[in-house]
Amino acid sequence: MTNYLSLFSPPVFVQALRLCSVILVIIIVPLNAHAESILITNTTVHSQSKAGVMRDVNLLVEDGRIARISRDTIDNPPKDVRIVDGAGKVLTPSLIGAYSQLGLDEIDLEATTVDSILNPLIPAVSFAFDVQYAFNAKSVVVDVNLVEGVTHTIIAPRPGSDIMAGLGAFANLAKGQIDTPNIAMFGDVSANAAKKIGGSRAAAIGKLRFALESLESFSARRHHPGTGEYSKRDLIALQTHVDNDLPLVITAHRAVEISQLIMLAKDFDLNLVIRGATEAWQVSEALAAADIPVIIDPLSNIPISFEHLGARLDNAALLERSGVRFAIEVADTHNMRLMRQHAGNAVANGLSWSTGLHAITRAAVELFALDDSLGRVVVGEPANFVLWTGDPLEVTTWAHLVVVAGNVVDPNTRQTQLYNRYKRLDRAPFQYGYER
Amino acid sequence: MPNLLRPLLANTLAILVSLACPPSTLAGELFASTYQPPETDARLFVDVHIYSGTGVEEQSTQVLIVDGKIQQMGTNIIAPAAQVIDGGGRWLTPGIIDVHSHMGDYPAPAIAATRDGNEATAPNTARVWAEHSVWPQDPQFELALAGGITTLQVLPGSANLFGGRGVTLKNVASRTVQGMKYPGAKQGLKMACGENPKRVYGSKGQAPSTRMGNVAGYREAWAKATDYQRKVKAHEQDATKPLPDRDLTMETLVGVLEGEIIVHNHCYRADEMANMIDVAREFGYQIGTFHHAVESYKFADQLAQENICSAMWADWWGSKLELFDGVQQNVALVHNAGACAIVHSDSAYGIQRLNQEAAKALAAGQRMGLDITKAEAIRWITMNAAKSLQIDQQTGSIEIGKAADLVVWNQDPLSVYALADLVFIDGHLYFDRSDPNLRPVSDFALGLSVEGQHD
Repeated sequence: MTNYLSLFSPPVFVQALRLCSVILVIIIVPLNAHAESILITNTTVHSQSKAGVMRDVNLLVEDGRIARISRDTIDNPPKDVRIVDGAGKVLTPSLIGAYSQLGLDEIDLEATTVDSILNPLIPAVSFAFDVQYAFNAKSVVVDVNLVEGVTHTIIAPRPGSDIMAGLGAFANLAKGQIDTPNIAMFGDVSANAAKKIGGSRAAAIGKLRFALESLESFSARRHHPGTGEYSKRDLIALQTHVDNDLPLVITAHRAVEISQLIMLAKDFDLNLVIRGATEAWQVSEALAAADIPVIIDPLSNIPISFEHLGARLDNAALLERSGVRFAIEVADTHNMRLMRQHAGNAVANGLSWSTGLHAITRAAVELFALDDSLGRVVVGEPANFVLWTGDPLEVTTWAHLVVVAGNVVDPNTRQTQLYNRYKRLDRAPFQYGYER
Repeated sequence: MPNLLRPLLANTLAILVSLACPPSTLAGELFASTYQPPETDARLFVDVHIYSGTGVEEQSTQVLIVDGKIQQMGTNIIAPAAQVIDGGGRWLTPGIIDVHSHMGDYPAPAIAATRDGNEATAPNTARVWAEHSVWPQDPQFELALAGGITTLQVLPGSANLFGGRGVTLKNVASRTVQGMKYPGAKQGLKMACGENPKRVYGSKGQAPSTRMGNVAGYREAWAKATDYQRKVKAHEQDATKPLPDRDLTMETLVGVLEGEIIVHNHCYRADEMANMIDVAREFGYQIGTFHHAVESYKFADQLAQENICSAMWADWWGSKLELFDGVQQNVALVHNAGACAIVHSDSAYGIQRLNQEAAKALAAGQRMGLDITKAEAIRWITMNAAKSLQIDQQTGSIEIGKAADLVVWNQDPLSVYALADLVFIDGHLYFDRSDPNLRPVSDFALGLSVEGQHD
């Protein structure tokens, strides 16, 4: 249809038509026409909403939405309803990643499978590097994490030749699409990034400051717009982003850089998120006062560099105590599924259980102003949840059922095919080559 | 004695010694362990829930330790002289053992000055010893202790076909690595299959640049070692036959051929394991353990037959193509096939919670319907690891006569919430979560704001 129209239609008309069709879809089609009905009986629901924790309830999914949550028996459920015994199990909103390279990087050491980073030796775009175009929902890494309950995630570029990495996006893993492009802009003022521009963290903070200052006099319409150290394309990206008040996610570890970033956010009225934030606990009051959230790896407790001398296992617990909002990330994108274990360890080291769950479900929704129905289980809203075999923060539990927009996610992946092929090595002849 | 004569005399002595004793590969004699277990009080653990390390689980039992050893187990032990530790139902396990660590060699902070784990300058550096890079003040040791680690093997990195000798350490604070060396434990030889050696040397335009180059590299080295060994033996039988020039690389390889050094082979893929087994067969040595063995689940029947352990992660995969087929069920499938399964870390983060890694591996097995008990899963991080290091006569289980390397956990260690409350090495209390004064603090960690971070 698009091809047919593009032959003779002005672009504006095409856009208007697309907008209309989107509206039509919303009006006339239920959330998901093919979604099945699911009844989960006698379970515990952590709603992450005003309803709080609901025990011994039955939960009905219809037409892609949570139709009912009730202590009473749900009479007359739809025909063909899939009934799942939820006794002893725990239902939570699905996991939502606040940072990853999912669908961008397949095998870290194979350059042709890595799209999240530009060659550090080749100066190219920085603010304007936009990873949405490389998102590959068919990546094996996507499925492996989806079946373990990670249904959505922020995907982010990594810094190449500059401290600024570029634009990230918000990916829906079950639908295999980018739901929101340009969701946040990423950069890094830690020593690792600073070495790309000469090696001083002072230069990193300074460069970021100067770029923001130059926005004041920058005009994309001028022939010589005065872009300072960046290209016109980069500054357009930064300007658009800042004008729209979208999150700027900057990696920093030392309390020194975190404090500098707090000042930067104040001076330029930025929507700032600090990632890494190893020593955030040392400046937690200032972070709370400025309402700057952080994204942390709660297992980071080793003084692995001179930027991590204050690394400790109770960073999350101390941030919670000071009222700093945070999400939990897993450094290894292949194992985003370990978000649960990361949160569990934070809880073992003093974080409250509910904040631990929040940090891997609802937190990303709040940090990035995502679709508000995500990260919570509310009647009438789209059904995005996981039924776990027990405490989701525990290492001995697993995802019994993953539901996205009312659809049950197929639990089979390349990894399940692999172990099934080899689980019986005593067969003769050994014909595993033909089994899938 | 005049100063000038001193070196002369020393040299003469050295020559006399070397004539009397042919080149030795015995690790125990060189850079010898100076570890002395401290004198300890007798202690009686009561009301503890035990995972024995041998696959046994027992509730509310008692364990008596005397002179650093487990002396008695049962229910009504009478030991008036012993200090009583009331478990109150808490869990007691053997000290956790990690067969694959680089702590000390890649210490924290990980900066250029401390990067001492990979002598990536030649494909065969069997002459180097990991212990000579160990920095005893690495603050990672005490973090691992807080996770119940009492024994660990530090291995050289995997850039080379032959990376060098590994060393088994007790996780005790010491000024020297000699003070940490596990007395009598054999050294390891780190070998590496696959992508790392061929990438490191191939990118320098050097051999090996392919997997076939890797195998040729192993075989050439073993062929030389066989020859070196023959010459040394010939000299032993007939002193008129010349000793070969002393060669530290060959000494290590001959140490393997004579069973004094254990082969720890970094190898991901099943087909490469098969090739390594054939190399070992050709030159008459035994492979002890395949490390990072992400494809052992494809080959577990053969590994059981060959009596080779697999040291594995619970769920790492995908960073290289040779890890692309990693599955969470690996450990459980290897165990289920009757092969020796070990959960290892290769990480200063992972080593702090090997109990959780074992728990995840167990859960993956249970999820696919394998009947594996919790007590058996604990073997993966205790007794099987001890077997891999050939220290299973001394440690790795709660059995009478074994070293009192023990951990008291605040709850079932196969839980994310479990924390080690007390850690004993040879009966000495090295870590007490409730007492900041009863835990080691490395020199490096002194004055850091996180001192006492376990509170």
